[in-house]
Amino acid sequence: MSSAPTEQAATTQQAKSPRFSLGNPWSKPRWLTGITWVYILWSLLPVLLAIRVAFNEGRSRTAIDGWSLKWFFGDNSFSVFGDPALQDALTHSLLLAGLAMLIATPLGIMLAIGLQRWRGRGSGPANVVALLPLVTPELVFAVGLFLLFTTLLSTIGLGTTAQVIGHVTFSMSFVVVIVRGRLVTVGPDVEEAAADLGAPPLAVIWRVLLPLLAPAIAASVLIVFALSIDDFVVSQYLASGADTATVPMRIYAQARAAPLPSLNALATLMLLFTLLALVLAYVVFRFMTRGEKRGSAIEQIASIDSGGGR
Amino acid sequence: MSEGDIRLEGLVKNYGDVVAVDGIDLHIPSGEFFTMLGPSGCGKTTTLRMIAGFERPTEGEILLDGVDMSSTPPHKRRVNTVFQNYALFTHMTVAENVGFGLRYQKVGKDEAMQRVRAVMEMVQISELGERRTSELSGGQQQRVALARALVLEAPVLLLDEPLGALDARLRLDLQVELKRIQEQLEVTFIYVTHDQDEALTMSDRVAVMKGGKIEQCDVPQKLYEEPNTAFVANFLGSANLLSVEAKAAGAGCDVILGNFTLKSDSKPEQAGVGTAMIRPEYVKLEPHGSEGENRVPGMVEEVVYMGFHQDVRVRLANGDLVRADVPNDGDSPEYEQGNAVAVHLRAANLRVLDDYPDEAADDTADDADTAAV
Repeated sequence: MSSAPTEQAATTQQAKSPRFSLGNPWSKPRWLTGITWVYILWSLLPVLLAIRVAFNEGRSRTAIDGWSLKWFFGDNSFSVFGDPALQDALTHSLLLAGLAMLIATPLGIMLAIGLQRWRGRGSGPANVVALLPLVTPELVFAVGLFLLFTTLLSTIGLGTTAQVIGHVTFSMSFVVVIVRGRLVTVGPDVEEAAADLGAPPLAVIWRVLLPLLAPAIAASVLIVFALSIDDFVVSQYLASGADTATVPMRIYAQARAAPLPSLNALATLMLLFTLLALVLAYVVFRFMTRGEKRGSAIEQIASIDSGGGR
Repeated sequence: MSEGDIRLEGLVKNYGDVVAVDGIDLHIPSGEFFTMLGPSGCGKTTTLRMIAGFERPTEGEILLDGVDMSSTPPHKRRVNTVFQNYALFTHMTVAENVGFGLRYQKVGKDEAMQRVRAVMEMVQISELGERRTSELSGGQQQRVALARALVLEAPVLLLDEPLGALDARLRLDLQVELKRIQEQLEVTFIYVTHDQDEALTMSDRVAVMKGGKIEQCDVPQKLYEEPNTAFVANFLGSANLLSVEAKAAGAGCDVILGNFTLKSDSKPEQAGVGTAMIRPEYVKLEPHGSEGENRVPGMVEEVVYMGFHQDVRVRLANGDLVRADVPNDGDSPEYEQGNAVAVHLRAANLRVLDDYPDEAADDTADDADTAAV
């Protein structure tokens, strides 16, 4: 074929004029590489700065000022583990995330299986509605829930229950996306095969479907955790007082009042939790689907990543 | 009474307005290797899936040993399926896959182990028991799928293009093995394929399907030698199709091809304009000028070298093109473009088909499509 001489021509041309030129389609896309790196550094810079300030020696949140861990563990009452308000916020955030995980995952799995099976009238709209929370502006969603819990569902009212319901509602869509991706990979044949071999319907689900969905379930659990612990708008609207404040809410409130590097320390911890959950989701999914064809796993993780940017 | 006798009565399956299976009546006696052969979309897989219980028939009955099972759910049917893409349980080992179905039968643990071991030995995967299914080759996965279905000892085994995903060499080996296993176990096999070689080599009987109906059902040899329609003639092997007029004459008929009148031993359903068929290997080329019954002069138009034989295309004096298989055995003469020959279309092998010429033309077009698949 003719590719070999073309490549040769490309290398000789590159040797002659190493600089980028629009007329040379074989040159490396240096400009694009450069722009990409600038973007990556730019997007990391504020985060890195915020993390750096968490390790400050002094009280300033605007200047870099020495090194210490005192805003994490210090004995003064302003550190993360010294200030009861920050600790309560952390406990509450973890409680919400834990409950959202436990509720949204099974519900999302059931919804995904249902949507996957449902053929015929109504299945199209149902598919769209199930994924609507992915694109609904979070503020609109939160205001709507707020109205719901203060009027129609005032028996529940604002507070932890409302917050959990809110988190479950929006994170379920992510579970549906992840689990359905896996359902497509697994295919309907294995269920038919199991039934064919004599397994009654419940046994098909228990012994074949759920084990095959396990990687998606594990990934879902961790994504829900990451989404919930990260959430500000829904938690804020559905909070009923200081005892239902989450970490993001506390950070936001204190940043306006009496900012101290302890807020950065708390934010750093949050970032750590979220990153850990995402990395764990990826690793667990990869581990559980090892030996399978690669494409599907990457696609599913890609869909998780793009969804996680909300 | 031996088990595994399947009877399909007036089986119909519609998907909305689409008719997938259009009235099938079949009797498959116990222990037969029965093949449903046809192009994609002919309804063969749908029929198989109805027997397995994955689809419910729109109309008709499916009887296993005389009992209608069209409303029995798949897990209660005494039939097992080998899937085209194997559908193995990737979260289990090979042995766990094979033993899966035994859990739902009243079988003791020792007996289950023993049966799993026996069937794995039969399909030659004894050493693979602890492997994960993702570590297996295609042929090995196929054996696991087979073992998993066989271990339950159901009287009927359904096979949906089980060799479709394997390479040609492996396919030949597994064909022989499937046939051996079927004969050893005396289980009824219902085999679905679009591969004519598989159908011809393994089956006791073959049903050629088209458009949701059975076109012709018979033993392989009869189907190949005596097809009733152009579709069957084309789907099994290759065929020369000639537009002719048939006239009843004695035990056979006279076949009028242009200015020539040939004899045929076949007796069409009705006389008149029709299609005659002869296989290329039965078309004999003789030196120009040879005399005798059923000889038509012609000229070699093209010679294609095919390895063990040559495909010689001869333009007959009436304008039709006929293909002749000439073996490359060292004895047969070599032909070149432009050679004048006499083409001998033997009466025993020239067969007048039941369908009409325009219908036959449709079938040829269909077949060209499926050949590409």
